[in-house]
Amino acid sequence: MSIPEPIQKRLGAALQEGDADAAEAVVIEALQGGADPLEIISGIMIPVLTEVGNQFQTGEIFLPELMMAGEAAERIGKHLEQAIAAQGRSTEPQGVVVLGTVQGDIHDIGKNIVATMLRAHGFRVIDLGRNVAPSAFLDAARDNRADIVGMSSLMTTTRPMALNTLNLFKEVGARDQCRIIIGGGCVTEDWVHEIGADGYAADAAAAVELCKKLMA
Amino acid sequence: MRSNWLIEIIKRAQTGPFMKERDFDLGIARRVKELVKEKGIKYDPNVLVPADDDLADRIFEAGLQLFVEWGAYCQTTERCIRFTRDEVLDILSQVRSEVTLGTGKDAVVMRHRRVEDPARPVVHSGPTGTPASERYHPLILLSCAQEPLVDCLGAGSVSTYFGEKILPGTPLEILASRRDAAVAREAVRMAGRPGMHINDVAVSLTCAGKMAAFDQAAGLRPSDAVLVSQMVELKTDFDQLSRVAHLYNIGAVTVDLMTPLIGGIGGGAAGTAVVSVAEHLLGAVLYDADYHMFSITHLQNVCNSDPMGLWCQAMVGQALARNTRIVALNDIYVVSGPGTKELLYECAAGAIVGTVCGFNMQGAGTTGGFKTDHTTGLEARFIAEVSEASLGLRRQDADALAHELLTRYQSTLANPNRGRPFSEVYDVDTVQPKQEWLDIYYSVKEDLGRLGLSLKHAPRPSR
Repeated sequence: MSIPEPIQKRLGAALQEGDADAAEAVVIEALQGGADPLEIISGIMIPVLTEVGNQFQTGEIFLPELMMAGEAAERIGKHLEQAIAAQGRSTEPQGVVVLGTVQGDIHDIGKNIVATMLRAHGFRVIDLGRNVAPSAFLDAARDNRADIVGMSSLMTTTRPMALNTLNLFKEVGARDQCRIIIGGGCVTEDWVHEIGADGYAADAAAAVELCKKLMA
Repeated sequence: MRSNWLIEIIKRAQTGPFMKERDFDLGIARRVKELVKEKGIKYDPNVLVPADDDLADRIFEAGLQLFVEWGAYCQTTERCIRFTRDEVLDILSQVRSEVTLGTGKDAVVMRHRRVEDPARPVVHSGPTGTPASERYHPLILLSCAQEPLVDCLGAGSVSTYFGEKILPGTPLEILASRRDAAVAREAVRMAGRPGMHINDVAVSLTCAGKMAAFDQAAGLRPSDAVLVSQMVELKTDFDQLSRVAHLYNIGAVTVDLMTPLIGGIGGGAAGTAVVSVAEHLLGAVLYDADYHMFSITHLQNVCNSDPMGLWCQAMVGQALARNTRIVALNDIYVVSGPGTKELLYECAAGAIVGTVCGFNMQGAGTTGGFKTDHTTGLEARFIAEVSEASLGLRRQDADALAHELLTRYQSTLANPNRGRPFSEVYDVDTVQPKQEWLDIYYSVKEDLGRLGLSLKHAPRPSR
C-alpha cells in the first residue's frame, strides 16, 4: 500500500474507535498528501469496518461502537467520494440495497444494524426507515435501480405486510428486477421460502453474506 | 395522582429541541458510555446479584442524569420531550407505590417492593411475548389463569382472525382485539376468577386496536390494563401517548412497557442498566404509569436469563427499589420451550433474582418468541413457587443460586431446546399438564430443593 503507515494506523484506530472527527482529519491530511482515495477505501476502510462488524457479531463490542464506526465511515466517505470524482473516476458499490421495516411495524433497530453492516461492506444502502408502505419499497427500488430489497418485520402481526409488498412487486411486473430478502424477529426461513422471496437472514452478519451471495 | 399532565407533555413534544432520530440514538449511546465511566459502573460476570447499595445508587443517578439531559424522543414530531431534574424528582415523589389490580375477591394489590423484601410479589402470567394460534390461545390463557398462585393474566399475540392474517390499522385488528379481550375475559371466568386483572391484549398494535379491547361485559374493564410501549431506547410517539390519554380518561390501569436491549444503544450490561432506569423514569413522567413492565432482552441471545440479563435485572431492580416508590414488574424472557428442564431453570434464575431485587413477577415469555403455542401455565406455576421460595433470601444467596442455575442451561443459550407446543405437553380436554411435562417439573423442583430452595407447593404425587 502506498499510503504511509502512520496514516493507515491513525485512520484505522479512529474508525475502530468511532472517532469521526479524528477520522475526518486523517483523511483530509492523507488526501492533501496525495493518497489514493480508492486505496483508502479498499485498504483501510473496508477491512476495519469488516473487523468492527465481526466484533459486534461475536459480542466483543456492542451497538454504540458499531454505530459510531459507521458514523465515522460515513463522514470520511463524503471526502473520499469528492476526491474520487475530482479525479474523474467513480466507485462502484457492491450493490444497491433498499431497506425498510414493513408497514405497521415500528421496530427498526435490527434493520439499522443491517444497514450499518451493509454499508461497512461497500453496499449502497437506501434506508427507508420503519413503517414503510409497499409502494414506497417499490418506488425506492425503481428510483435507485436497486439490486436487492430487504424487508424487516419484528411482529407476527406485521409479517403479512412483507408478503403484500412482494405481491405488489409481482403485480406491477417488477419482481424480476431485483432480489427480495426478508428478516426480523418473527420471520423464519421456511416462511420466506414459502412465499417465494429470494432469501432469509437470521442476523446482520448473515444478511451481509446473503447480499454478497446474491450479488455474486 | 397528577391531573392533566398530558397537555404539558404534548406541548413539549411540539416545542422541545428538534433532532434527527439517528442523532438522538448516537447522543444517547455516547452519553451512556460517559456516564458509565464517570460513575464507575462495572458489570462483573462473577457477581450476578451484587449486594452493593452504592452501585445501585450510582446506576440510578446515571439513569436520572441521562433522562434529564436527553429526555424522551417523540418519533411523531422528531423532538425531545425534556424535564428538569427538579420536575422529575417532584413527579417521582408523587408516584403511586401500590395499585389495585382486578376486582372483587380476585383483586390483588401490587406494591413497590424493596431489596430483599419479605412481601410476596404479585405474579402475572400468560403467553406475553410468545405467539399463539387461534385454536390454542384460549386454552393457554386458561392454563395460566387457573393456576392458584398466578394473580393476573397477560393475553397473547394471535396473528390471525378466522384464519385471515391481521394487518395493523385495519378493521381486522379491531375485530381481533375485541375477540382476544373476550377470550381473556372468558379464560378468567372459566378459571373461576372473573375479577382477575388482565394486562393488555397483545394482538393490537395501534391505539385504536387497544381502545377496541375495552368492553365491560366481554372485554377489558377499567380494572384491567393496556401496555403503553417505549420504542428502543427512550422513544415514544403520539399513538402511544394517545393510549395514555384513553386509559387516563376511563380510569383504566396504565402499564409502561419498555424493552431495552443489552448490546443495543446502551452498550453492554452496565450501560443498558442505566438506560433501563431512565426508561422507568420516562414511564413515570410521560405515562404516569401504574406499574412498569421491564422486558429486557439480550440483542443476540434474545432472552434475559443470560448472565448480563440477570445482572441487569438485579441492578435495575435494586436501583429502583432503593430510590423510587414505583411498582416494578420483571418480565422473565427465556429461550427454551415447554417440556424441557432448561425452560424451568431459566425461569427459576429470573424469578429468584427478580424477587430478591425488588420486582414483581411476569412470565414466562418462551422460546425467544420464535415458536407459536410454545407456552403453558405450568411454567407460570413454577415461577410463582420459586418466587415465594425466594422470600427471605439475601442477595448473596440469590447470586449463588443464579450461578448454580446457569450451569444447568447456559451452554444451551446459543442453540436452545425450543421444546414442544402446548397441545403436546398439556391434555387439551382437561387443560392439565401431561405426566411427562409434570415429571420434568417435579424433577427440577427436587433439584432446586437440593440447592437449598424449598418449594412448598404441590409436592410430587405418589403414583
